[in-house]
Amino acid sequence: MNIARKVSSIIPYHNVRKNVYRKFRFSASNFDSSAQSQPQVREEKFDFEDLKVLERVERRNAQISPFMKDVFMSIFNKDLLAYPEILNKEESAALDNRVAALESVFSDPKKTKDDRRNALIQTGMYGAPASLTNGGLAMNYTESLRYLDVISTDLELGLELSDHWVSLNVLKLGLNADVYQKLVNDLTSGEETISICIREKIPERLMQADFRTTAEMDGKGVWHLNGEKICTNSTGYLLVLCLVEETRFKAFLVHPRANGISSNKNFVTFRQTPATPLDEITEEALSQTLAASRLYTATLCRNSLKKSMHTCLEYIKPRYFSGKPLTEVPTIRAVVGDTLLKQYASESAEYFTAGILDGYLQPDAELEMAMCRNFIANHAQYQLLQLLAIPGMEMQDRCLELMEEMRLLTLRGENTDNINMYIALNGIHHAGKSMATEIKQMRNPMFNPSFIFKKILTDRHQERDNPKLDLYLSEHLHPTLKQSAEKLEYCVLRMRFTCETLMSRHGQEIGNAFTELTRLAEAATEILAMSAVLARASRAYCIGLRNGELEMKLSSCFVEKSKARVQKLLLEVNDGEYLNTDHFRIQFGKKVLDNKDAIVEKPTARVFW
Amino acid sequence: MNVNNILRNIIRSRTANIICQRWKSSDKELTSYDPFLAKPQKTKETYLEVIKMFEERDTRRRGHVEFIYAALSRMKEFGVQKDLEVYKALVDVLPKGKMVPTNVFQAEFMHYPKQQQCAVDLLEQMEDNKVMPDSEMEQMLLNIFGRRGIPLRKYWRMMYWMPKFKNLSPWYLPDKLPVDTMELAILALQRITSVDSDTKIDIWKTEEIEASLDKTWIVNGQSRVQQVLLAEQPPDEPLVIKGPFNVYLQDQIVTYFLLIGKTRPEYKDDTDLDDVSNIERPPRIPGVIGKVTLPQVKNTIHEQDDGTIVAICATGTSSRDSLLSWIRLLEKYNNPHLANIPVIFTLIAPPSDVSLFDAQQEKDTNKNTSSTN
Repeated sequence: MNIARKVSSIIPYHNVRKNVYRKFRFSASNFDSSAQSQPQVREEKFDFEDLKVLERVERRNAQISPFMKDVFMSIFNKDLLAYPEILNKEESAALDNRVAALESVFSDPKKTKDDRRNALIQTGMYGAPASLTNGGLAMNYTESLRYLDVISTDLELGLELSDHWVSLNVLKLGLNADVYQKLVNDLTSGEETISICIREKIPERLMQADFRTTAEMDGKGVWHLNGEKICTNSTGYLLVLCLVEETRFKAFLVHPRANGISSNKNFVTFRQTPATPLDEITEEALSQTLAASRLYTATLCRNSLKKSMHTCLEYIKPRYFSGKPLTEVPTIRAVVGDTLLKQYASESAEYFTAGILDGYLQPDAELEMAMCRNFIANHAQYQLLQLLAIPGMEMQDRCLELMEEMRLLTLRGENTDNINMYIALNGIHHAGKSMATEIKQMRNPMFNPSFIFKKILTDRHQERDNPKLDLYLSEHLHPTLKQSAEKLEYCVLRMRFTCETLMSRHGQEIGNAFTELTRLAEAATEILAMSAVLARASRAYCIGLRNGELEMKLSSCFVEKSKARVQKLLLEVNDGEYLNTDHFRIQFGKKVLDNKDAIVEKPTARVFW
Repeated sequence: MNVNNILRNIIRSRTANIICQRWKSSDKELTSYDPFLAKPQKTKETYLEVIKMFEERDTRRRGHVEFIYAALSRMKEFGVQKDLEVYKALVDVLPKGKMVPTNVFQAEFMHYPKQQQCAVDLLEQMEDNKVMPDSEMEQMLLNIFGRRGIPLRKYWRMMYWMPKFKNLSPWYLPDKLPVDTMELAILALQRITSVDSDTKIDIWKTEEIEASLDKTWIVNGQSRVQQVLLAEQPPDEPLVIKGPFNVYLQDQIVTYFLLIGKTRPEYKDDTDLDDVSNIERPPRIPGVIGKVTLPQVKNTIHEQDDGTIVAICATGTSSRDSLLSWIRLLEKYNNPHLANIPVIFTLIAPPSDVSLFDAQQEKDTNKNTSSTN
């Protein structure tokens, strides 16, 4: 209930002239900014004088403000609609070579796990993120996704390697140079991998903190760890997150076969285990580096879905129904098509995010990485069930295996709810910083009457769910995508209004509006996917990639469906907990949790005869 | 209901001690005959027997209104006031067909007012005793008074509201409460502790504690959260036993006691709710959820304004000694911390007056004396 929404002022219109012009012109060709978003080939500048240039050349652009966080305020960085291009010709060729070498081993079902491991060692995968001087490949995120796409055929190796990569990046930043140099050869050789141990069990007692692993330094300056972690592979190095001085997080490296480690299925226990502290890395950098594991999880999840689709296709192809091949059944085709759509969207979002990480200095893409993970985790689970319904009761074992794989991936590290809250609260936090004065005025309407009248006027279109489209995103995409671009624009423009509603409704206590925040996070996730899909399709069509027109269709279809989802989600947030029935759902849940037995009588029960 | 009230005022001329008085004006001695009084055993069977006798004695069933009033007033004595079958038997006393109005005037001007009022009073008594009629009763009333009769209207209103009220209480009780006081105490404690579904109800015997004088039972309710709260009690701050408190289960009373501990400080919030410039964010390291420190403020349902309820009990005797045994048993089962904390008894009334056990005995003796009267 915002009185503020009911009254308003004429927005100070800075560029009326430009907008009028936009309304009546025929194309965007002579609009100055559209040139920026065209795919560009940039010249590399080598400094041939400097002989020490052994590392990769820094080609990243200047820092940009965080993309998805800005979307929470309806600010859209249109440059990104050009889809980031990261690799140059040589890098691309080298990448293709390595990918081909890996693919020949990984796509061959006859090869054993050892063969695959050898192939990984030969292509230098275990040391890939390390710098060239340390014998690595100085791999960036875009490349790592390409590798992971191939490696994920073997899920176990995929999981192992993605953790290893993330940990290597953490160690690079965290260990001081001497220690790092001592360890780096061992770490990149591939004999011992690094696993990440962060997640802990949910407390079983009331007076137990959520995070309990602690580290203490003894008299000799050696750190000892105590606690229990969730970790499936505890044979190699372990990167363990601990609490020091009660409240501060610090990461530690535990060497293989250290004292006091015992593992039991999914859990690893540390008892006075000596460990190397990662002193150099700040908590901020640590969280940003570790967040990459979310991006990798998304890739693994998508590839698992792809694998399921192929299993399903193998089942469908040799079978017939009513004298016709099963491949001709439209419902089956629709399910397979849908799966392709989800994969396409997720893949776009992942590479898009990797592009932001690789293309700009000091990138802030933690939200995007979390969104990638949540997008595919949400859709893949549903899509997998649809796919596995096709073989039905046949192929029981294979289906169980695929489902277990998906469950493992969607719950890897953390669950969807945690990440949704993370996405929403970080976005709101970012938006809150710049919207604080406005919100304060909206929450105190009697003190700010003139503001309220202005607000009512400016928000009148938003109130009718029909915002004025003034971002002109279509100018940065292929003209045929105009309608889709407008749908994306609608979604982006609704975000600010929704954040405003939420913040003015809950104020500082917004962290308690769980269901509404979840919706907001899901909507934002869809917006990322939409942007990535549109940018990718537009790029593909413009530069004439094979099946470019199919990509255009895929993107249009995806945006069509996705916009409907976003519209519904954001409308529900704006409606509030009574109209969207959240309040009641929560009450029902409470009732069930409070009662030991059934709470609804059987339909045969009677009160009197 | 207006009609009912007016009618009642007009018709209510009956005497309180409803007795069939016959030959009152005759020169013979006044004979008053109360068939209910004559029955030595007051059970449902004998009650129904009396009704049967009345029905068989006189084919014309003279004085049936008086008989019904008499029967209604004796119900409690026979302990049948909650029995639908008995009410049906009473309605069955009224003649069928005779009182159904046959024309508009009869229908409008209350055919057989005294009989109708009698039936309404019978239904009223049912309602007071929370007995819900069934559809057979409707059929019987239809046969007696026809569909324009006032008892029918009363019946339909009852059948509109009574089913709605019947299951309204969130603390459901069985229709027939157990006779055993311990069972009653369990029912009561289950209902009181339903705020925390984790609560476990234990039944202990004081015999387990050798030093106890009162050998009785103790019904104890405590949840795991309460155990933690009790364990947090500082040893220099005494726990307090408060009670006895009464809780009603239908018409039965159960006395219970509370063990009350210290209160944690109220959550103080002096942040400006309108200021959204720095909203709290969750931890940013993937895999880390929740908080690293625990809130040291009031946040459980057991922490009320007047103290933290750490346990609840009802004992067989409600005596101080049984409560002492309760504390010792609590210490023995899962609350070792109790050994170090002083406990204060603040019982409002002398314990013997309010014991459930005594109350029950008293009731029994009352019953006996009244029946001998």
